[in-house]
Amino acid sequence: MKEATKKKKPVTSIGVCSDASISASGASFVYLITGLSLAVGFWVARNKFSVDLVSNPSLTLCLLWSIEFPIVIFVYSFFRRSPEKFSYFRALGRSIIGLFSGAFMNALGAIALGAPIGTQYLPKTIHWSFLMSVFTFVPATAVFGASWTDWHRVFASMKPSGNIEYMIFSPAYGAIIGGWFGAWPMPLDWERPWQEWPICVCYGAIGGYIAGQIVSLSVMFFLRKHNKNLKLA
Amino acid sequence: METRLNKKNWIALGFLLIHSVAILIFTRGFLLTRTELPFHSTCSDASLSPCLSSPVPNHDSNSDSGSGHFNQSQPKCWTKPVVDRVVIIVLDALRIDFVAPSAFFPEPKPWMDKLTILQKLASANDSSAKIFKAFADPPTTSLQRLKGLTTGGLPTFIDVGNSFGAPAIVEDNFINQLVRNGKRLVMMGDDTWTQLFPNQFQKSYPFPSFNVKDLDTVDNGCIEHLFPTLYEDDWDILIAHFLGVDHAGHIYGVDSIPMVNKLEQYNTVLEKVIDILESQAGPGGLHESTMLIVMGDHGQTLNGDHGGGTAEEVETTMFAMSTKKHTTSIPPEFDTASCKQNSAGKQICVSYIEQLDFAATLSALLGISFPFGSIGHVNPELYALGSSSWNLDNFELRNFGSQSAVKEWVENYVNVLCVNAWQVKRYIDVYSNSSVVGFSSDDMSRISDLYSAAEQNWSKSVKHLLMDSNGDEDSTKISALKEQIAAYLSFFSSLVELARSKWTEFNLNLMITGFAMLVISLILQSLAIFHGDKPYAVNSGLSTGAAFTLFIVLVRACSFLSNSYILEEGKVANFLLATTGLIKLRYSVMRKTMRKEAVIFLAMVSVLRVSIDIGLTKQAATSQFMSSSPSWMLGIAPDHPALTYAVEIAPILSVVILICVLYRVIAKTPNEGLWKYVSVCSMISYFLIALLWSSETNIFGLDGLLHVIGGRNRIPQTVYIIGLVQLFLLASARMFCAGNDKNWAIRTVALVSACSSPVILLSRKQGSMLALAYLLAGFCIMRMEGVERRTKSDGQNKFSKLNPLSVLQWTLLSICMFFASGHWCAFDGLRYGAAFVGFDEFVLIRQAVLLTIETFGFSIILSVFGLPLLIPIHSQTPQAHGEKRYQLFQMYMLYGVISATTVTATILCVTIHRRHLMVWGLFAPKFVFDVVGLILTDLLICLASAYYL
Repeated sequence: MKEATKKKKPVTSIGVCSDASISASGASFVYLITGLSLAVGFWVARNKFSVDLVSNPSLTLCLLWSIEFPIVIFVYSFFRRSPEKFSYFRALGRSIIGLFSGAFMNALGAIALGAPIGTQYLPKTIHWSFLMSVFTFVPATAVFGASWTDWHRVFASMKPSGNIEYMIFSPAYGAIIGGWFGAWPMPLDWERPWQEWPICVCYGAIGGYIAGQIVSLSVMFFLRKHNKNLKLA
Repeated sequence: METRLNKKNWIALGFLLIHSVAILIFTRGFLLTRTELPFHSTCSDASLSPCLSSPVPNHDSNSDSGSGHFNQSQPKCWTKPVVDRVVIIVLDALRIDFVAPSAFFPEPKPWMDKLTILQKLASANDSSAKIFKAFADPPTTSLQRLKGLTTGGLPTFIDVGNSFGAPAIVEDNFINQLVRNGKRLVMMGDDTWTQLFPNQFQKSYPFPSFNVKDLDTVDNGCIEHLFPTLYEDDWDILIAHFLGVDHAGHIYGVDSIPMVNKLEQYNTVLEKVIDILESQAGPGGLHESTMLIVMGDHGQTLNGDHGGGTAEEVETTMFAMSTKKHTTSIPPEFDTASCKQNSAGKQICVSYIEQLDFAATLSALLGISFPFGSIGHVNPELYALGSSSWNLDNFELRNFGSQSAVKEWVENYVNVLCVNAWQVKRYIDVYSNSSVVGFSSDDMSRISDLYSAAEQNWSKSVKHLLMDSNGDEDSTKISALKEQIAAYLSFFSSLVELARSKWTEFNLNLMITGFAMLVISLILQSLAIFHGDKPYAVNSGLSTGAAFTLFIVLVRACSFLSNSYILEEGKVANFLLATTGLIKLRYSVMRKTMRKEAVIFLAMVSVLRVSIDIGLTKQAATSQFMSSSPSWMLGIAPDHPALTYAVEIAPILSVVILICVLYRVIAKTPNEGLWKYVSVCSMISYFLIALLWSSETNIFGLDGLLHVIGGRNRIPQTVYIIGLVQLFLLASARMFCAGNDKNWAIRTVALVSACSSPVILLSRKQGSMLALAYLLAGFCIMRMEGVERRTKSDGQNKFSKLNPLSVLQWTLLSICMFFASGHWCAFDGLRYGAAFVGFDEFVLIRQAVLLTIETFGFSIILSVFGLPLLIPIHSQTPQAHGEKRYQLFQMYMLYGVISATTVTATILCVTIHRRHLMVWGLFAPKFVFDVVGLILTDLLICLASAYYL
């Protein structure tokens, strides 16, 4: 059984590549939209609600993810797997489930790593994990749905194939690793307000997310082109 | 086979030796130790000295003049009292440039010349008020300094003989002497004083000192009580300790507005204090013969740090003033004042004093016996301030005969110094006889020569000069006396120099040597992992797991360079452990195996982190560097009946589960004779523990049980005895039944279970739950071993038998256990109560062993002995056995390398931060814990490799 799926995988992925592929410039457009919506989130938080991550993390995070989330699902649902079977709205619907389950997983991971538990941190943790879920789980659910083999290949085996899978894989891992590094300054005694949970972890995650986007873009631009040339030759 | 076995044991033993030597060398350079002596000085001691027992005869008739409390009928103690009352105002972290005029410094700064009242007094009346530049000995932390000031010694980090845990000073000290001599003490301000002297103060108004951000609570409390107390007559010594300047320095630095505000506030306070004193200073007044001392306990750097030995930190100041207007001017030989013109053109002088001399000088001024361990000498200038002309009536005489006043002063001073020198010599003799690390015989003989020379001169000639009041001419007499004083002073100075080199100076060469040895041993030990039996040896490049292990170990090692990470070390270890758990989870999902184990492991990590958080709040309650934040608290009231019920039940339940687990393990394994019986003994121990705990709660109605079996000590003692018997059986079985060692698992189970019962017993109720979590997490690590390898076949030749990641997880898990069981790397984190489980009376070695088992039980003892459990049980062929034996050796070496790396990092950090503010509060305890842990780890690795290999 295992062998069978393993053999099947390359076939399906190549097939998918051909029908729901996205060019590198398209990917950069997607990134631009998601990046802009993050910026809009920060702008709204600052100018409409006059809060920022430091002064009111929960509200800011809430704004960030609730602005980012619709944009991400609208964009990524266009690239869903086997569009003939699953409609666009179905992709939207399943990404809402993905948002909650992803938030749950992220929250559990954060708590295992040492995020403060306790009632006053609860809203912050919840909103933070929603934001992380938007970065990590939501694009994947929008594209893969419940297709476990795709999840497994991209996230566990780290063998994404095709631009769209790179677009899911690289920013998601970037956000997680960025968040992991972002936790480092928390115990230091600098007594800065941003050392509080989850502020610097958020900054780290956003930074890692953007870095992941840049990495995947450069992979697409340089490696892919290189590969194509090789193939043509 | 046998030879190789021996070789491996020798390797483990070799590393134990190298580490011990390296640590010993480093410690000799870093942790200076001093033995505290339990002796006390008494008034009657002075008759043993060669000095004059009665006051200098020609002034005998005047001895009742200045003193209300000392009259002729009361016997004089060591010296003649010259002041009645002393007001000591301690301004914490008072830099010399806060008090001394800015003319003494290259350029005026905003914080200078703020305490103008002190400068005004010192320049207006230089015979009754003086500014001193005071030299404090490192470590310049408040607690050590107060100890130094009051004992007159040089407190080191480890004063051996320190009372078990409590900071109260047990050595003889100035405060203690005051109480013994019937003086009444009042204290206000910093609560460190009441910690150091719990019972000595008649009245005390302590205020909490550890909230550094609070600039005003302590000071306002002081001010509130200070002024009314000054008008009262029910005290002899008043101590007011202000903390504002210290706190302002820590938070804002010296060059800041709050600092200047604080200094200005102090100026007004001091003005008022001096007004009150002077208004009462008339004959018969309350403060007729009062001395005011305004002093710092240490200095601070411009950033507000202190603790080390840089000039800024050790240079503090002392202002002394006597309410008596006519004080003696002293001979120029003893005057250390350097004078400058201040901006107003007035002459102002700053003299020099050592804080070491404070206790002796004040004792001499108040006429009490000197603290037994004081090595300071009576400072001539400060002594002269207090000792005005002995008789107030004949000050006209002084005006035209200053020569006679000088003579009078010198006669007194030489006698005081004589007692002083005798006392210091007595202390040094007793110290070098009773201390294990005393002084070298060369040094001692040099000191003795100096003393005996001075003493001979004294008994031969000077004593007669003094006795015979109408003898020689004044000038020859004075010069003889001055010679005698100089002889004493040279004795004092060479002695203090010796004591300083012994007690206060780091030996950087030794420290670097020790560190270098550790680094070399680290390299050797990493080589030892790969060296050895060629058939199984590995020399391929780094695998993913090995690279990741290296990364995590380095992250953890580097984290020790910052004090914040050391404070939250448990959290850091937990963070890294959870990271490895997440990596493993990813691999197990990828391989589609062991997913359940990975999730359970993460769940156990989460349980441990909650436990670590609880431990951290306990630590924060006592640590001066942490603020407590009970953020982890859930919304349940702590005294909810369901919760208390659960708290009582859960530990007993987990012991029962442990018994079941052990039973399952034993039942499953084939009959292995002795090993099995040893494990059965552990089950009995567990059962006894469960019985003990359930009889301690009143839920089960087993209260009467303790009476039946004869006291609550019976069960713990039985458990200890069972444990010892088990260990004895295991050791003898290992020695005599060599052929019977094929099955590792059962032997490991037997050893670990034998060790675990005392550990669980000592860790009290949380122990069993933690042991369960530990067991579960360890089981998951074992199951997940090797999931990150590419394929099964790949694993056969590359790193086939060594999985660094699971050893790393095991190490991190045991470190987490240390913190989760409520320990932290500080001496107040030790659970002294554990030393008395099963015993009521104190026997040092026994109680120390119990305390060690409690402290390192989970984190080192069980962890080292349980390491073989990580080897999965697959094949049982004889050939696989040899391979596994080699694998186990590698695992132990790797375990040793990981422990030694962290210790090396700690040592590097301690070397770098040896002048850091927190060196004595934080880095040094961490160093001690790590070093003890490493030696224990090495020792146990030796034992374990003798047992298993």
